Amino acid sequence: MTLEIKDLHAKIGDKEILKGLNLILEEGKVHAIMGPNGAGKSTLSKAIVGHYDVEVTQGDILYKNKSIIDMEAEERALEGIFLSFQHPVEIPGVNNAYFLRTALNAKRKHEGKEELNAAEFLRAMKGHLEALGMKSDMISRSLNEGFSGGEKKRNEILQMLILEPKVIILDEIDSGLDIDALRAVSEGINKMKDGKRSFLVITHYSRILDYIEPDYIHVLKEGKVVKTAGIELVEHLEEHGYDTIVEDAGL
Amino acid sequence: MTMDETVEQYKEDFDLFPTANDKIEYIFDLGKKHTTLCDAEKNDETFVEGCASAAWLMGECKDGILILRGEGTSEMAKGMLTLLLDIFGNRTPDEILNFNPSKLQEMGVVELLSPVRQQSLEAFLNKVYTYAQRCKKGE
Repeated sequence: MTLEIKDLHAKIGDKEILKGLNLILEEGKVHAIMGPNGAGKSTLSKAIVGHYDVEVTQGDILYKNKSIIDMEAEERALEGIFLSFQHPVEIPGVNNAYFLRTALNAKRKHEGKEELNAAEFLRAMKGHLEALGMKSDMISRSLNEGFSGGEKKRNEILQMLILEPKVIILDEIDSGLDIDALRAVSEGINKMKDGKRSFLVITHYSRILDYIEPDYIHVLKEGKVVKTAGIELVEHLEEHGYDTIVEDAGL
Repeated sequence: MTMDETVEQYKEDFDLFPTANDKIEYIFDLGKKHTTLCDAEKNDETFVEGCASAAWLMGECKDGILILRGEGTSEMAKGMLTLLLDIFGNRTPDEILNFNPSKLQEMGVVELLSPVRQQSLEAFLNKVYTYAQRCKKGE
């Protein structure tokens, strides 16, 4: 396994959101998380990456059999844990290419590799930009400033492609995407599948799952995983909603 | 790689950058690999006259090859020196003397330099040609 979450309790402010969540991310597998609004999906993703919004009060997260619960967010990122945000922030004045190269070089340095200069970096980016249907001027603009919803999500995937993380968490990467953008983003995700990387895809819709074909579907409800099954579960959810799942779990 | 090929590669690199500022930032970036000289090597003989900021250039002829090493004091000088040493260093005198310096214009960088910096480039080239001629004569 790549990541194991054990009896995780976490809160945001005074509100407990995760209430004893257990989940195992298998190496090389794509795990999808579905669930009603407020179930704790985004809180789970933030807890894994060590986001400052979330306070873990109980339980543990093991990455490659080592607890990461006391690690800073940047340490987890350097170790290969990546989160694409549901709402990527705009940072005026910070050049997108500079931001991405700094992130990549921090990781390369951590791995004992030589840093890329600006030209080497842009050459490496060229193919990714084309594959994602991104205009080349997007990387010379300020980070996400004035980007459409689809452009922001493509930029998140661009970041994922260049950083080559080992655990990839995508928080509603499909929200606000038109059909072309959804296809481009999905192809970007599929490109990263190598039988070793693990994915945690948080979504409300089956559309993206048709493209990326998850191995497992987990349903999150009231801060816990209440059901895990294969892709057939999506059809059931679309037909019957989350209520029946709750009943199955006896909550 | 020949001198022309090296220039061509830099041209391709600079073409990747959409704005003049990005290109200049890349020159600064190149300067991170900038070499230095020891204090004894920074003397009147190696000082590049006419540079906008202090710069020194050493030329040593070894087995018919001109080895160039230099040091600049400003970010721009460090970057430009790194780039130029990559083009002109470790060449035979004939390669250097037969190289058409107007080729440097093709990189799209020279026009970014201020008139004073362009004079610095000329001063650098003069120094390189002096070293190349000496090397050719076996001095």
